[in-house]
Amino acid sequence: METNIRFTHKELVERSKSGDRNSQYQLYELYVDAMYNIGMRMLGIKEDAEDIVQESFVDAFKNLGSFKYESTFGSWLKRIVVNKSINHLKLKKIPIAPIEDHEFYLKEESEENVEAVDIKKVKMGLKKLPAGYQQIISLYLIEGYDHLEIGEILDISTSTSKSQYHRAKKKLVEIINTL
Amino acid sequence: MDNFEKHIRENKALFDEHKADKAKLWANIASDLEEPGPKVVPLWRSPLIRVAAGVLLLFGIAGITGVFLMKKADYNMQETIVSQELLDIDMHYKSLVSYQVQLVKDNPKLSDGDKEEFLLFMDELDKEYELLKLEMKKNLDNERILEAIIANYKKRIELIENLLHQINDSKITNEDYDGYIL
Repeated sequence: METNIRFTHKELVERSKSGDRNSQYQLYELYVDAMYNIGMRMLGIKEDAEDIVQESFVDAFKNLGSFKYESTFGSWLKRIVVNKSINHLKLKKIPIAPIEDHEFYLKEESEENVEAVDIKKVKMGLKKLPAGYQQIISLYLIEGYDHLEIGEILDISTSTSKSQYHRAKKKLVEIINTL
Repeated sequence: MDNFEKHIRENKALFDEHKADKAKLWANIASDLEEPGPKVVPLWRSPLIRVAAGVLLLFGIAGITGVFLMKKADYNMQETIVSQELLDIDMHYKSLVSYQVQLVKDNPKLSDGDKEEFLLFMDELDKEYELLKLEMKKNLDNERILEAIIANYKKRIELIENLLHQINDSKITNEDYDGYIL
């Protein structure tokens, strides 16, 4: 089953590898909106998101030869967009993960069970979060990465990723409760 | 994972609220894909390569000119040899023809009318010969023209010989006649 998922759009990918522009366009059409939304969540600015999406597709098509179906094409492309977005934030010197009080969160934060909230409120709350918190919430809850992967993406340890996420979540819930 | 997280993960599609400007983005992507890969510094920008290319070009031109001149010289040599051969043949036949024409002209037994008719015929063959000579200049290698020139000469000699035979025949006929001449 997993293999079938991995090989989604294999024919399109294979034709795109050989430089078939039509197949490349079909893949682009399938994934562009999803990638653009990731860009928007990570960067928050339309022009920046567009630049990153463009660059990501160009890079993906130019390096498609290195794609060996170890994941789906979508996940592979998503990782390119996420990595490029993080590099873009670093270049703009925007803090990716707030570092304040890092050292004081060495032990696992106690899990606080929060009930489901209206998605509209979550969206509004996310927009009010500091940039670093927005990204870690997006990476974990929306993009579906685990803390090990987030650690790799943000170049932080898994435990830092966990603690940062919990703080971000706590802050988000606080904001939502005020809405 | 609490209900808050589960609810968000299950409804993550609702967070995709933006629509990309597909046409604009694709236009940029396609134009980027058209570009040749990594930036390549053209070889001709290197001064060393420029000098080398210049020298190579000079050698090339010199080589081509050399080959052309040698071929031309060779061709001229061939032309000289063939022309010399033709000239020898021409001289041989010309002397033969002019000698026999002179014989005809000097022959007292031929009437002026016969001589004129004969010389007119010879003039026609002369014209044909001049044409063949012109053709020969254009096609030095053409054996058929060379053969035609020789045939032209032979025809003249044959004509002269025939004419001389006729004269001699009539002489013999006259000499062998045993009857009385009044």
